[in-house]
Amino acid sequence: MQKAFLVGIIVSLISGIISVFVVLRRMSFIGAGISHAAFGGVAIGFFTGINPTITAIFFSIAIALGIEFVSRKGKVSEDASIGIFFASSMALGIVLISLSRNYNIDLFGYLFGNILAISDREVFLSFILAVFVIGGIVLFLKEIFITAYNEEIAQVSGISVRAINILFLILLSVSIVISIKIVGIILISALLVIPGATAQLFAKNLHIMIATSCVVAVLSTVLGLLISYELDIAPGGSIVLTATAVFLVSLLFKKRG
Amino acid sequence: MKAIEISNLTVNLNSLEVLKNINLSLDEGKFIGIVGPNGGGKTTLLRVILGLIKPSSGNVLVFGSHPEVVLRKGNTFGYLPQILKIKPNFPIRVVDVVMMGRYGKIGMLRWPKERDMEKALEYLSIMGMEELKNKPFGQLSGGQQQRASIARALAGEPRILILDEPNTGIDVIGQEDFYHLLNGLRKKINITIVMASHDIGAITSYVDEIACLNYTFHYHGNPLGALNETILTELYGKNVDVLMHTDICDKCERLRRG
Repeated sequence: MQKAFLVGIIVSLISGIISVFVVLRRMSFIGAGISHAAFGGVAIGFFTGINPTITAIFFSIAIALGIEFVSRKGKVSEDASIGIFFASSMALGIVLISLSRNYNIDLFGYLFGNILAISDREVFLSFILAVFVIGGIVLFLKEIFITAYNEEIAQVSGISVRAINILFLILLSVSIVISIKIVGIILISALLVIPGATAQLFAKNLHIMIATSCVVAVLSTVLGLLISYELDIAPGGSIVLTATAVFLVSLLFKKRG
Repeated sequence: MKAIEISNLTVNLNSLEVLKNINLSLDEGKFIGIVGPNGGGKTTLLRVILGLIKPSSGNVLVFGSHPEVVLRKGNTFGYLPQILKIKPNFPIRVVDVVMMGRYGKIGMLRWPKERDMEKALEYLSIMGMEELKNKPFGQLSGGQQQRASIARALAGEPRILILDEPNTGIDVIGQEDFYHLLNGLRKKINITIVMASHDIGAITSYVDEIACLNYTFHYHGNPLGALNETILTELYGKNVDVLMHTDICDKCERLRRG
């Protein structure tokens, strides 16, 4: 129970920060795409006997970079490449799972979240990965920000826009994978979008947007978990519905004021 | 060392020849105006100088180095693009936009300091925008956004300032102030300025040199020399009428008649 909240807070802090940039850089679809690609990565883990979290991280990063490479070359549009990569990763995952004949509860946990089965090792791993993501964002905050504002102006400031895009995709992939245990692959993309979208309604500058987004994410996660315990409903779904409610209330607030 | 040296530059974009046989030599500290019709290659030329577009053939040197090398250093250019694509509701205040002009000077893995904020505010106030510093950039009018963006291009105190149609959205009085500002800046920090404009009249009063560009250079030299019917017809096509509102007007009348 405590571990669930601990990992929940770590994951929601990371989601809050990353969500700001997913929303500003218009990457919601890529986020959904990488989340589904993670399924393929998890399946590879089951199939080969390697820790699924590790395989998911490497596979998601590979897919993310693949999308970046294919759409940059220009022959296929970005949204088409995302669609292709994510569907094929899922298909790969389904095939691998059927081959390993391992339809056990684990799979369900990865798809929909399984906060009750979080081990100490997983708490520790989440913490390390979270530090990695926060570190990456903090070190390159102004570069990521100016690239989101206008890529040409970023280039003229001496920034390698391509390197920043790749860095961000890596940070995004890691954030997605650490969120899997809490909300599951199916619903991760909600945590990547809702906190940032809510924050954008009110934020006048970047720091306020990040802070607001984190508050929304943590609040939704903690409330969502409490509600799921009280009503005995799926925690992942509960968290996302709570976040949605926060968003809708904020939207109403904004329209009135 | 020349600020810009271009020889035999040709640029093909999407299999179309956009610039052909461009030669240009510009000393440091000079102010050159590039005039010509839309679609004539002005923006492309500026972006080649910036290192954003690769030449198809020919040589381009900025302070003796290749433009991409200079671009990577991040502290040489100040750039005002012609059209600024900004997402609506982007969480950024006017002062933050101007601060972005300092990022090249600040460098990676470093944070803005007090001095950077001082410079940002200095150039904001030079552009007459100090009172709006905390306003969300997206809430500004077109002309105000343009002025804030100019402040951004200047805030890094670049060696070369590249301006693509900077007078869009700024009224005539604002334009005059802007030119005075640029000339004042030149005395202060020896800045080299390259400005593209389709407004040939206003620009001729303030620049050291003018180059008339439509796919290739039809003229390069003293500004007054550009106000020549032959050159203007070559540049813009037939039926060119020159309307000017400066004290060079008399000369212009005589040129048109004679």
